[in-house]
Amino acid sequence: MEPINAADEMSVKKSILNSSIEDRRLFRSRIQRFKATHRLYIVLMGSLAVLQFIAIAFFARGFLLSRSVLEDISKPVEDVQYGKFEKCVILVVDALRFDFTIPVDPSSKSYNPNYHNNMPVLFDSKDEHSILLKFISDPPTTTLQRLKGLTTGSLPTFIDAGSNFNGEVIEEDNMIKQMYLQNKTVFFAGDDTWDKLFQPFLSPMSVPYESLNVWDLDTVDNGVVNFFEEHLINSAQSSREWDVLIGHMLGVDHVGHKYGPNHFTMKEKQLQVNAFIEDIVNAIDDDTLLVVFGDHGMDHTGNHGGDAKDELEAALWLYSKRPKTWNTLPSNFYSVDNLGVDYREVNQIDLVPSLSLLLGLPIPFNNLGWPIQEISGTVEELMQYNNLTLQQLDLYRRVSGVITNPDKNHNLDDLWVKALRSTAEGPNFQKLFLESCKDLWARFDYWSIATGITLLSISLLLLLSITKLIPSIVVGQMVSEFVPSIIVMSLISNVCFNGIFHVLHQPEFLENWVWCSLLATAVGIIVGCCIPIFDRYNLAWIAIKFAEDLSDYWSRIAALFITLHALLFTSNSFTIWEDKIVSMLLTSLGMLTLYEFVFLPKRQSTTALMTAAMGQKQGTLSGSPAFSAGSDSAPLGRFARLVGGYHSIVLIVCTRLASMITICREEQGDSCTPTFTTANNNSVWCLVLCFLLIGFIPSCIKGYYNVCSSYQAAAPIWIGQFLKFVLLINFVFWTLTALENTMPDLNWDLKILKLTISRIIVGISLIAANVGWMMGPLCVKLNIQNNDMKSQQATILGYTNVYGAQYFLLVINFFMCIMLFSKPLAQVSLFLMCNQLLSILEIFDLLKLKDNLIGPVSMGLLAYQQFFSTGHQATIPSVQWDVGFILTEKITFPFTHLGIVMNTFGPHIIVALSIALLTLWKQPPGVLKPQTLLTRIVSNCGMLLIYNTVLCLSTFVWVTHFRRHLMVWKIFCPRFIFASLCLIVTQLVITVITIASSSGRLIRQINDIFWK
Amino acid sequence: MPVKRRSMPKKTVSFSDDETLIRTRQLNGKKMPVDHYNPPVYVRKTLLTVPFHLLPLLYHFIKCSDNYDVAKLLCFLIPLQSLYLIFQFNRSTVYGNKILKIHFGLLFISLAASLLLTLPCMAMIILLGAPMTQLLKETWILAAHCCFLAYPAVYSVFNCDFKVGIFKKYFVSIALGCWISCVVLPLDWDRDWQEWPIPIVVGAYLGAFVGYPACSYI
Repeated sequence: MEPINAADEMSVKKSILNSSIEDRRLFRSRIQRFKATHRLYIVLMGSLAVLQFIAIAFFARGFLLSRSVLEDISKPVEDVQYGKFEKCVILVVDALRFDFTIPVDPSSKSYNPNYHNNMPVLFDSKDEHSILLKFISDPPTTTLQRLKGLTTGSLPTFIDAGSNFNGEVIEEDNMIKQMYLQNKTVFFAGDDTWDKLFQPFLSPMSVPYESLNVWDLDTVDNGVVNFFEEHLINSAQSSREWDVLIGHMLGVDHVGHKYGPNHFTMKEKQLQVNAFIEDIVNAIDDDTLLVVFGDHGMDHTGNHGGDAKDELEAALWLYSKRPKTWNTLPSNFYSVDNLGVDYREVNQIDLVPSLSLLLGLPIPFNNLGWPIQEISGTVEELMQYNNLTLQQLDLYRRVSGVITNPDKNHNLDDLWVKALRSTAEGPNFQKLFLESCKDLWARFDYWSIATGITLLSISLLLLLSITKLIPSIVVGQMVSEFVPSIIVMSLISNVCFNGIFHVLHQPEFLENWVWCSLLATAVGIIVGCCIPIFDRYNLAWIAIKFAEDLSDYWSRIAALFITLHALLFTSNSFTIWEDKIVSMLLTSLGMLTLYEFVFLPKRQSTTALMTAAMGQKQGTLSGSPAFSAGSDSAPLGRFARLVGGYHSIVLIVCTRLASMITICREEQGDSCTPTFTTANNNSVWCLVLCFLLIGFIPSCIKGYYNVCSSYQAAAPIWIGQFLKFVLLINFVFWTLTALENTMPDLNWDLKILKLTISRIIVGISLIAANVGWMMGPLCVKLNIQNNDMKSQQATILGYTNVYGAQYFLLVINFFMCIMLFSKPLAQVSLFLMCNQLLSILEIFDLLKLKDNLIGPVSMGLLAYQQFFSTGHQATIPSVQWDVGFILTEKITFPFTHLGIVMNTFGPHIIVALSIALLTLWKQPPGVLKPQTLLTRIVSNCGMLLIYNTVLCLSTFVWVTHFRRHLMVWKIFCPRFIFASLCLIVTQLVITVITIASSSGRLIRQINDIFWK
Repeated sequence: MPVKRRSMPKKTVSFSDDETLIRTRQLNGKKMPVDHYNPPVYVRKTLLTVPFHLLPLLYHFIKCSDNYDVAKLLCFLIPLQSLYLIFQFNRSTVYGNKILKIHFGLLFISLAASLLLTLPCMAMIILLGAPMTQLLKETWILAAHCCFLAYPAVYSVFNCDFKVGIFKKYFVSIALGCWISCVVLPLDWDRDWQEWPIPIVVGAYLGAFVGYPACSYI
């Protein structure tokens, strides 16, 4: 099979479709018109996308909380002397979970030699010199938030979580600033988040290290060890220039991110930390306080960010060489049974007043913590510490005025008076104050939330009317009215809103002109869309049309599925189990189509049959040989039913198989066994599967192409060679990764090799292959048979699927790239996705449901099902951050982000691309006009967007409804963020790639060749 | 693919309830009297079709039996379903204007068929998301419940010339009952009746209870 060349193309044109000059002129003007319409469509879809983005922006602004930060700074309290230590060594061991530090009985069920009993120094030296406490951090458990909390004593809110990747100098009063103000020299080594937060207060001797490269286990730790050796361990007492020495080690955390806690490197890391702490203990003097703590824990996969018990529980260890420093409680408070379930806990923010009091610093102004009881050796000290903290808390309460509720204020006043009288009442005051603050910093901006929900609902209605309700032909004519009116209306409303805002400062919640312009643009787009619509139709017509559109069986099924999926967010249980529910819905869909093909129920003879029959009549006009089949009998011949049944079974089985791959949510508990684990991903059987995929994926796709004998010309090159080659080197890449992860004493440096491979794949798949696709690789072949001397009969192989076969090559390009960014098991899942996708296309082609709502809905379901089976969940810790380092070693703007986006939204991208295939798959040229094809593609894209918008809207509504729910930050909020991102990604891919760059070009090219 | 035309088949297996479509295809558009070759098969709309025995069974299952013993329930179900078939369902099934007498041999054949049907049924349940390796026994019992709930329909299919098209709605109603009852599975109420497969079994019973009388109207 040789690729088709230009000469062949010309001969196709000449021999089969004889054309005259008039025809040519007609054709050219038609293409001109098509180009103009296409451009208008891009603008229309683009403006709808902008409207949705604005809606999401408003909602996120109102819902994702922020806390007002006071810049007041505490002053030293006069005439009061306190502070037991001159100097202090602080060692932060990132992700030092509490159970790492206590002795665990090797015979107990939860014992794991990789991470238990490796750090004996913290517990064994538990005598009068030291105290070990369970250290409860506040969510979100990300390092930046924890450092802020640990130094200010306050509660960083969720919105800060987003700025983990660009920390900036902290403005609030904090411990490090107080040290600096009290003329203490602070030396620091380790995680560069500190450098970003506290840069002005640290000594220039400090050595920060790059922190977010989770694949690098040793650089930071060795740096910290060297720094400490130089300034503490190997330096004489007198030559120590620091007052406070801070180290932040990342090894344990990075091992967790890279391998999970259950890995031998974890043991190595912990032993290293243990030895290091022993060295420090030996080196410090009597006046030095040693504090070792973890800023957060890690879950069973080694990730963190949420508020699971494992993620919240860290360890805190205080050590001093001076005897009788600590006032330990009775030993039953420190029981290590059952991994220390009942061990005494302190809040993470409690460290702030404790350390300030121990070092004789003023307590930071915003502190909400309470001194740890153990630090006060005598009753007098306890009294003093309590009073100092009470003064600070009360000052903060009065100055900030955070508590506006009079009842609460009254309560607090009462407690405050009581607390002044007896030390036992102090913690009660602090607890109530802390709780009230926690409640308050969940303060939402309801105006923005309402604006976001309203805008999104209106955008949903507009999408519905434009892409679904109004007949696509009419929209094709209306598009030239939409665009100017949208532009004009946006300009007008921008002028009006900004004018009103600047003069009257209304509406107040907008705050600045940026938000004002955004709202104005959104209103402009809405009005601009409404003018042409209501010029021709009215609300009653739209309502009737809506009911009419839902009158057929398949649309109703689709609407039911959308509704069910949207209703999942009404309960935390359903949201938790979304992965299983979505795959069940997709399987049910497969069952329904199977039922359809087996039993051929009555409804076939109604709408679908009629349209099918009409389509067939039109179709036979083209004179293609392959198209006459089946037109003499009922719409579904026996063969078609057999094929349809086969595809339904493929869909069902693939869905079930894929749904076995799961990374369980922590809330799913015992009912779910994770299969997407690091061990499985690096295992031999998984790599063998990946190896088999090199052959399987191309041959499966080839099978689908061969249905219409489209495996011609460009297809063998693309699928048989490009795809195979990319899959092969992709396999090499992941094998190397697995080798690195499983062989501890592998000394080869594979970094360069891996980077080379990954860059080759991305270069080929995203750049080279797409440029190649733009050249227009046809999947047809001219088959010229000489039956006799006189007539030459020519058959075009692959004629029926010219559009689809070529378009799918584009999908393959992105598929190759997504494969690279997916871990081995996810690649298996993506292989299944390929089959599911093509089967869905075949099924809806056979059922003649190309324009029905069910097609996009099933594709949307497929995207969600695959999102879950490629090792994701709608939670923050399950984001596979490590794939960000496939292309580069350090965080570099587009490449790291590209990897994470491709990994997380891979299935959504594939589906958003292939949604056009619902129209194009098995669409022979010459049946539909280019404009009609385009409008149908836009209509299908619109329906996919409707599906995603409904889900997003549902999460908006329900996350607002559950805003005080216990689980809101853990379940509903991540789901809302995920739904918004899904909508954004789908919108972008559909508008920029599917509609703007690929469909238009493809339709023009095919019509250029096969026009009549 | 041309449809193979047979000359006047005596009895046909029809998977479709779209009679007109099939008939026009078979008879090639000629109008023919249909009563002899295609005797009308339907289920009468009487109170007889209501499977009253399912309610006390369910009541016993939920209230009286300890630990929701699904296996025991199955033991009660099979004889009661047979009685229901003999005295109620068969009497309301009309085949060519008359009610067929009960055929005891067929009764056992269809019992075996129902038993055999549990395997594809089980495969279907697993495909829809039941655990693949664990709890297989429970899944099988669930499949058995579904199949024996459909037992009267299975018998009637045998008895009435394999008119699957007429009786498939009975199977569908049971499946629908199961499908809908899945709703309670993920809820975090921590009740002991949420254990697999108890809610689905109850759903199947309710589906059958609603389905048997309702399907004669559809």
